[in-house]
Amino acid sequence: MKLIKTIIRPNKVDDVKDALAALNISGMTVTEVRGHGKQKGHTAIYRGKEYNVSLLPKMEIDVVVADSIADDAIKAIIGAARTGEIGDGRVFVLPVQESHRIRTGEKES
Amino acid sequence: MSKTLPGADLTTRVALDAARDELRADTARGAGGRAALERHADRVDGVLRQLYSDAGAPDRPVAIIALGGYGRRHLGLHSDIDLLVLFGGRIGRSGERFLRAFLNPLWDLGVVVGHQVRELDEFADLEVDNPEFLLALLDARPVAGAAELLDQLGAMFHTASTHAYIQRSLLQLVEERHAKFNDTLYQLEPDVKEAPGSLRDLMAARTLAALTDPLLLRRVPADPERLDEAEDFMLRVRSILHLECGRNQNVLSHELQERAAELLDYPGGEPRQQVERLMSDYFRHARTVSRLLEWARRTAPVPVGSNLGLSRDGIRFLDPLEAARNPASWIGAFQAAIDADVEVTEDTLSCIQRHVDTYSPEDFIPEPADCAAVLRLLKPRPRLYAALSQMHDCGLLGRLLPEFQAISWRVVRDFYHKYTVDEHTLLTIRNLERLVRTEAPYRQRLKSVADGVPSLELLVLALLLHDVGKWRDDEHAPESVRMAVDVLDRLQVTGEARETVLFLIGNHLRMSLAAFRRDTEDPETVKEFAALVGTEDRLKMLCLMTLADIEAVSPDTMTPWKEELIWRLYVDAYNHLTQRYGDELIGQDQPRLVELLARRPNDLPEMEIRRFVEGLPQRYLQLFPRDSVYHHVRLARDIAPDEVHASLDASDSAWIVAVVTLDKPFAFSNICGVLASFGINILRGNALTNPNGLVLDVFQCSDDECFLELNPAAHDQVLQVLRDVVSAHSDVGALLRGREHSTLPWNQAARVPPVVHADNQASGRYTILDIVAGNAVGLLYRISRVISEHGCEVDLVLMSTEGERAIDVFHITKAGIKLNEAEQQRLTSDLQTTLEGML
Repeated sequence: MKLIKTIIRPNKVDDVKDALAALNISGMTVTEVRGHGKQKGHTAIYRGKEYNVSLLPKMEIDVVVADSIADDAIKAIIGAARTGEIGDGRVFVLPVQESHRIRTGEKES
Repeated sequence: MSKTLPGADLTTRVALDAARDELRADTARGAGGRAALERHADRVDGVLRQLYSDAGAPDRPVAIIALGGYGRRHLGLHSDIDLLVLFGGRIGRSGERFLRAFLNPLWDLGVVVGHQVRELDEFADLEVDNPEFLLALLDARPVAGAAELLDQLGAMFHTASTHAYIQRSLLQLVEERHAKFNDTLYQLEPDVKEAPGSLRDLMAARTLAALTDPLLLRRVPADPERLDEAEDFMLRVRSILHLECGRNQNVLSHELQERAAELLDYPGGEPRQQVERLMSDYFRHARTVSRLLEWARRTAPVPVGSNLGLSRDGIRFLDPLEAARNPASWIGAFQAAIDADVEVTEDTLSCIQRHVDTYSPEDFIPEPADCAAVLRLLKPRPRLYAALSQMHDCGLLGRLLPEFQAISWRVVRDFYHKYTVDEHTLLTIRNLERLVRTEAPYRQRLKSVADGVPSLELLVLALLLHDVGKWRDDEHAPESVRMAVDVLDRLQVTGEARETVLFLIGNHLRMSLAAFRRDTEDPETVKEFAALVGTEDRLKMLCLMTLADIEAVSPDTMTPWKEELIWRLYVDAYNHLTQRYGDELIGQDQPRLVELLARRPNDLPEMEIRRFVEGLPQRYLQLFPRDSVYHHVRLARDIAPDEVHASLDASDSAWIVAVVTLDKPFAFSNICGVLASFGINILRGNALTNPNGLVLDVFQCSDDECFLELNPAAHDQVLQVLRDVVSAHSDVGALLRGREHSTLPWNQAARVPPVVHADNQASGRYTILDIVAGNAVGLLYRISRVISEHGCEVDLVLMSTEGERAIDVFHITKAGIKLNEAEQQRLTSDLQTTLEGML
């Protein structure tokens, strides 16, 4: 299993959800996050004063998928979240040793 | 030959003596209390009626009116008989003859008369130098003659402002009187009329009730019978004092204490024991009275408006019956509650609730002033939510706005909303109310957005109506707009204000949609959103509305993350509106221009309008309604070099100054300087230049020195000076130096650290100067003077103020192009120095 941790633009959540749903991946965790990537934010000016906007609002989507569909899922996410501009985000992939369904105690590995 | 005046005849003398004898006898039996005094007053009434009749009626109506203690029928044996002889018109010779015929016999009878002779018209103005007389008038009672005159007097006299004045005077008189007795009722030889806890205090408590809340003394914690008992006791003692002294004597001296104890039949083997029991009773009663007065002083409502009083538990109708008949006064109760930072009392809410269904929405706002009062009520400030909730709970809000009633207790099932639609709506207003006074550091940036909105009550009205369309299950925003139109008709909200409210309601979801569902880092998203809102004021209001709306969905819906997204969209849209509008010019087929041309008045040819507006920023047509544009076109007609065409008009809250001239160096600076020289303070405005070199400056100004208001020739004067300055016949600097030497602090800026920022990226054509500084008369003159001295052209200016801060955005060029880096630096440095020098 793989944990796919995705940081994307806020407005891309629905697109990514739809893309994952097309692969029958429906379970996910969505979190409002703030951060910056390589560009380290930018400077905004409001009424003559400069504000350093270093931590940008982003969305994090976490999904755990079988190894067999991990690559498809990653491709789907990238395809849905890409605009081609700076700030499109990142996809991190982590191995998952095992998972337990709390309601039933069922174990998957 | 002089006519002999009739003296007191035997009948009246006998009648008066009989009345006094009866009171003496009652007093000697220890029974000279309330009932005896009332009988005495009634008998004296009879004597006065006889004298009135004998005097012969004058040629115009006259009334004999009992005042003060006599008016209350508490007429002691040697009390003054206080009378008002009230004439319905000019007194004249006939009236004077009547007065002599009426008063002389009274004096012959040996009666001490305290009389006032007045004409009814004299009561048109309050006698502020005679509060005792006004207090005595409260007990006025007709005795003889034209009783209707007293009714007419009452209509003039019993007003909220008069009552408020009398109440204040009464409390002051009580304080002064108590001070004479060292503020203690425990006097060894008390004055039963004047001392603390005596008859005057009892009357003061009753007067407070009469002035503020007729039911007040029914709510007194002590047994009301104890008050009657105290009063009767004091009156019986006072009657004895009058009897024993043969004059108007009210001090219960040691000697008289023994006599009073004896006549009042106190038990005891020795006089000392009798006296102790008498004085023990006296102090008990005086304490009761004293506590009553103290309670009444604390509890009595303070009159705060027509039929409205502020009491300890909030704002109440002083006369609920009157209030029930006058629904237009109800909004005032909630306004008063907000003003006083209290609630409307439960009994007042019940009164409204009992009667509200008998009235239609128009009954609450019959006059334009009532409509304005509703809008005034909606200004966001502490307690607005509480007041609106109370209005809703008692049914007034739903009756005033049946559209709102349609969402009362309305449940819309979704994953987000936690409250009924009506409560969600009211919570949006609470959120705004909290935002405008928040001290939280992280919200100051949003609070400052609210500070810059001139008519926040329009936003509250929009919030109140934004979800009324949810009474139906389909898309609610268009339905809310449709319903809001009826509300705005009833409230007589017209023009730009009406358009703004409808815009906000119709687009209340658009900002959250753009912020959360669109890529706000994409300039096109920002551009589209800026185009939707059109002006900074609408942007600010929509931003605040979005925040208030999201926060009212549930306690967890608004997160710092969401707030940040909204803030960024706001800043980007604000910058777009204020810095980029110079690049978006009115073209030939602009929809607004097409509409402007289609609806033009007969006197304006199409070409004249086109020549004026084409090439101006599109923003111009968004900012100004059609009629204003037509006005500007007319102003520009046949303008020649060195000429100035200008208009000065008063709007609701400001003066609108529109100036048209042909562009030349220092034009904007000179115009601002001339206005400053008249003490006119520019609050907001736009300066625009079209490609033909025509300058249009439109300012909203405050007339701090009332020059425009008080001077009918102001228009001509300002225009003449503008002409003189523009044609270089007069030096604006000299005019302003004249002011600097005057005593008026015309150029003192509020202590706001100035910010000057130049930007060459935002606009394709202009260097943008963002300037924030303390507002002051002459500020724009000074800024623009420095810019012009650097050889720059002022092409466009946006002017606004937020409280003490002036926020101005200049679009400038030098020789037709943007300034280079070095030029920017020199200019900003000079501006910074100039602005810091104004602090």
